[in-house]
Amino acid sequence: MGQVLAATIIFGSIGLIFSLLLAFLNQKLKVTEDPRTKKILDKLPGLNCGACGFSSCRTYAQAAVKKPEIFQGCRPAGDDTNEKIAKLLGLQKSLKKEKKSILICNCQAEEGEKKITSLYLGIKTCQAAHSTGGALDCLYGCLGLGDCKEACPANAITIKRKKVYINQKKCVLCGKCIRACPRRLFQVIPRQKDKRNYFIACQNKDKLKEVKDVCSRGCITCGLCARVENSPYRIEESLARIDYKRADQIKLLEEGKNKCPTKCIDVIRY
Amino acid sequence: MENLILIFISTILVNNLVLTYFLGICPFLGVSGKMESALGMGAAVTFVMTLATSISWLIYYLVLKRFGLIFLEYIVFILVIASLVQIVEMFIRKYSKNLYQSLGIYLPLITSNCAILGVALFMVVKDYSFLESIVFGFSGGIGFSLVLAIMAGIREDLEFAQVPSVFKGAPLTLIIAGILALIFMGFSGLGGG
Repeated sequence: MGQVLAATIIFGSIGLIFSLLLAFLNQKLKVTEDPRTKKILDKLPGLNCGACGFSSCRTYAQAAVKKPEIFQGCRPAGDDTNEKIAKLLGLQKSLKKEKKSILICNCQAEEGEKKITSLYLGIKTCQAAHSTGGALDCLYGCLGLGDCKEACPANAITIKRKKVYINQKKCVLCGKCIRACPRRLFQVIPRQKDKRNYFIACQNKDKLKEVKDVCSRGCITCGLCARVENSPYRIEESLARIDYKRADQIKLLEEGKNKCPTKCIDVIRY
Repeated sequence: MENLILIFISTILVNNLVLTYFLGICPFLGVSGKMESALGMGAAVTFVMTLATSISWLIYYLVLKRFGLIFLEYIVFILVIASLVQIVEMFIRKYSKNLYQSLGIYLPLITSNCAILGVALFMVVKDYSFLESIVFGFSGGIGFSLVLAIMAGIREDLEFAQVPSVFKGAPLTLIIAGILALIFMGFSGLGGG
């Protein structure tokens, strides 16, 4: 009987000591979270894309609650949601703004246009295919295995017939595809006039014959676009380039585009 | 001093908790997918294990043994470990938000990690002194982290291997765990172990 009593007392007191300690520490180490953080977090899309410069939506919300002027809008969220969040934070200024740049993929050749002579059976990622040189004859072009699609948090990228299509409305310009693509085909360019965004749809830095051998749509460095009078095009590293400072000269851009024999100057309407 | 070094090495390699006594298999299989989380888990377990053994030693020898209540050891040790994990969790939540977020789910899991209870009980069975039990607890944690890191390294590389679909996932992990245990048997000649 005595042992039972002793056990009860000892165990009870040990338990009591620990529970008191826990209760005390719980009070002492309490972490209070601003209720607005959760409200903002509920409004944010939760893509964790990092376009705002923070590692996750949660850290962005926490930082914004602490310092409201940090909040510069969330690109994927859209204007309405941003207004709501700004109101919640007590910000006065308007956050509505137009997209000033767009994302493009510098290889717009489809299956059939780019030559594939080898059969690639390895791991189905561009990273792996790129390191073995398989899946495509062109050493610069899009492998079409979808690393960019995988990396995109906003589901803005689709791949049809080994060609990348970018949904500009969904794209949040976070840049994850730029890092994911082993051939560095993605590029962010300034938005141009009249919803006509010209760009060079080829990245092949080889000369005429080598390009012709692997792709019917590659830039063969003929220089016809650059030879238009006062042309915004120029040739650099065996590739045509556009001087985006002169991107408003639509007429000249269109003229150069029409001169291109392989149709590797492309337009995105957005 | 020699004694302590012997305990340190033998607990890490010869009597490795995971691969020789098969304790703490749950986090060994569950948290070993990525190197980063494996190391985080290992660090948290090492910390809790060291603290738990030292406090368990104090309670066992200063309270339980004195009052003849040795049969209470299991339940008291569980109590100590659970409270310690709670305290550690509170501290991490307060002072390192990032670590708290990356460990998040695994932290409360340590409460039910039988390797920690195992270390506390072994310490009693092996009749260690206070200093010896601290070294024992610490090296037990290091051994745990070591095995977790090895497993995570293998499993990260395994992502690139072509595995027959029947073996994918859990079966292959268990086979690797078995092979690792066989390898660790090779250490049993060390230090008279």
